[in-house]
Amino acid sequence: MRRFLPMAVLLAATAACGLGSSGAAPDPVERVPELKPDQKVSIVLESYNFGQAGPWTDTFNEVVAAFRTAHPNIEVTAQKPQGNSANPATDTISSLQTQMAAGHPPDVVQLGFSDLDFTVNQLKAVPLDDMVGKDEVTKNFEGTRHPYAATARTLGDWDGKTYGIPFVLSTPVLYFNTELFKKAGLDPAKPPTTWSEVKTAAQKIKATGKEGVYVDCLTKAAKDWCFQALTLSNGGRVISEDRTRLTFAEPAVTEVVSTMRDLVGAGAMPNRTQAQALEAFSRGDLGMILESSAAQGSFLKAAADKWTLGAAAMPGFDGKPVRPTNSGAALFVFASDPAKRRAAWELIKFMTSEDSYKTISTKIGYLPLRTGLIDDPAGLKDWAEQNPLIRPNLEQLTRMEPWTSMPGKNYLLIRDEMMSAVENSVFQGADPVATLTAKQNELGGLMAEGGS
Amino acid sequence: MRRIAGHVVLGALGLACVLPIYWLYAASLRRPGDVHDQSPLPWPLSLANYTDAFAKTDITGMLLNTTVIAAASAVGQLLIALFASYAMAAWRFRGHRVAHLLFVGTWLVPFQVTMLPNYTLLARLGLLETLAGVVVPTLCSALGVLLLREHLLNFPKELLEAARMDGRSSWTILWTVVVPVLRPVLAALGILLFINAWNEYFWPALVLQRSNAVIQLGIRSFMGTEGNDWGPLMATAGLASLPVLLLYLVLQRQIVNAFVRSGLK
Repeated sequence: MRRFLPMAVLLAATAACGLGSSGAAPDPVERVPELKPDQKVSIVLESYNFGQAGPWTDTFNEVVAAFRTAHPNIEVTAQKPQGNSANPATDTISSLQTQMAAGHPPDVVQLGFSDLDFTVNQLKAVPLDDMVGKDEVTKNFEGTRHPYAATARTLGDWDGKTYGIPFVLSTPVLYFNTELFKKAGLDPAKPPTTWSEVKTAAQKIKATGKEGVYVDCLTKAAKDWCFQALTLSNGGRVISEDRTRLTFAEPAVTEVVSTMRDLVGAGAMPNRTQAQALEAFSRGDLGMILESSAAQGSFLKAAADKWTLGAAAMPGFDGKPVRPTNSGAALFVFASDPAKRRAAWELIKFMTSEDSYKTISTKIGYLPLRTGLIDDPAGLKDWAEQNPLIRPNLEQLTRMEPWTSMPGKNYLLIRDEMMSAVENSVFQGADPVATLTAKQNELGGLMAEGGS
Repeated sequence: MRRIAGHVVLGALGLACVLPIYWLYAASLRRPGDVHDQSPLPWPLSLANYTDAFAKTDITGMLLNTTVIAAASAVGQLLIALFASYAMAAWRFRGHRVAHLLFVGTWLVPFQVTMLPNYTLLARLGLLETLAGVVVPTLCSALGVLLLREHLLNFPKELLEAARMDGRSSWTILWTVVVPVLRPVLAALGILLFINAWNEYFWPALVLQRSNAVIQLGIRSFMGTEGNDWGPLMATAGLASLPVLLLYLVLQRQIVNAFVRSGLK
């Protein structure tokens, strides 16, 4: 241990230097040549899906195995992000940073859209338009028969260049318990479409002895993707369009927070944490929950033969259009060697192909971003008919808006602090206007110093 | 009356301690569809969560790996602690105080500080993704060294002197005089170190990225973005706790002794 300590200190300093250099200007990225027929390459794929046992790991292993068969010269090693979070998806960035510090980042990484600014400007993901050419990227989006949904194509873009190929995404869906609806005298065929209707329905459910509704978009744990959908639907934004100014204390946003606070005050929404609400809904003790469509599989499993799950589009504010946002992840390249970069691109093309989406959608339930597959009898038509609950999510995909990532190195702090202020206002009784204004002023300094 | 009140409070505290463990096993034995139920008695009982956990993960392999890691780590820590404390307690040499302070110092440095340097070192040694990579950086336990040093400082010097006068070497004295006397302490410390290593989660989570080779990582594999799979998660957690619970039942006195002696954990 005594010999180990000085070495550890030295290495810590080396590692810190490595991390500090991540903000430097990017190296020019040259077009990578095609692989030669006998050229052998090995690459590492990091995805949080490998962190979850069952269909997630099994399906992704199946896709990787199919890739190996199609590209026998490219060896792919799959790994999950390192880290100790309960949800491996929250470890993606720290995992990548650690491996970069150790000098061996994975070649292809699945990262969330909320990290896009940081991924491009700090971690220096390779611009795919430069690496393989804009034409090839467009050709992949077009596919052989079913192109990407237009709204999904640009989610991994930055300053007009494609850095990440969107891979999986979800939108906020109003899930409900049809048995509790019937018990409260509500019609499951006509779920609420506005927040005032949600409040009335929730109060009716509450009168039967169960809880009404939980909006899982209002806490630090929920992050801000769905809160952004709420604010956009009320004509507001949490950050200005040019991403230089926080705007979450403006009236269109504070109105949203006040509406949600009113749901709690009126007894329509229980004062619960995210985890408690998910458990209560799974147990059949909560009537409705606005939740990521990614949770659908868990809800279906929990409902089983005890209650029936219903799904509806995200509700809106009276007279205003609903503007759902997306959660989800894209595939980015961090390889530096030209051959590995080309192999990484081949893997991304394969993972986002029509065949892979067929495997992934039927086995995990993810929505295919090549939406034409849903109506194709040779594609996913049967699967879609057997799973009508995907319809609200699919319909929202056609009109969704990108989730805006916070800028600079302090992006996570800004997001978390903003969501803490929202949580305090909705669940802890703090005054929305005063709390959000004070927080916006406080975070203004971080915006100024954290530019990308 | 005060005695009764005391017993009532202790009984309530005891129940509060046991309840989470009971709930863990109760949830694991519910039918998969009942896993969210809040009834205190699981009925009807089902082993479906256990079969599900075995089907989705290699539980036998993980338990075996965890046993190897915990045993190797505990034995390694015990040996290094024995050698270091013997040297520091039996001899006066230049820098022995500094050596002691260094051990105390390493104990005070949080894991998060050494995590990244340890990781980069393992990367250079090519030990990432190996069980050795999990064990090697844990081989020196400052707790073990300091604890044994305290015991050895109180060791009767006359015994060591007598053994030396008999012409025994330092190495022989360690194994024929010191270790037999320290056996209860070593046993207690060994158990404590084994339990600590068995429960270790953070470090294996960093080193073993391409597999869930240890049981604590296996538990986490039932949690994720799409929700938690509580049934097999509880079953795996129940299986992970079982060896330590059995160890506790068999060696209850030694384990309590270990915790009391260490006065730390």
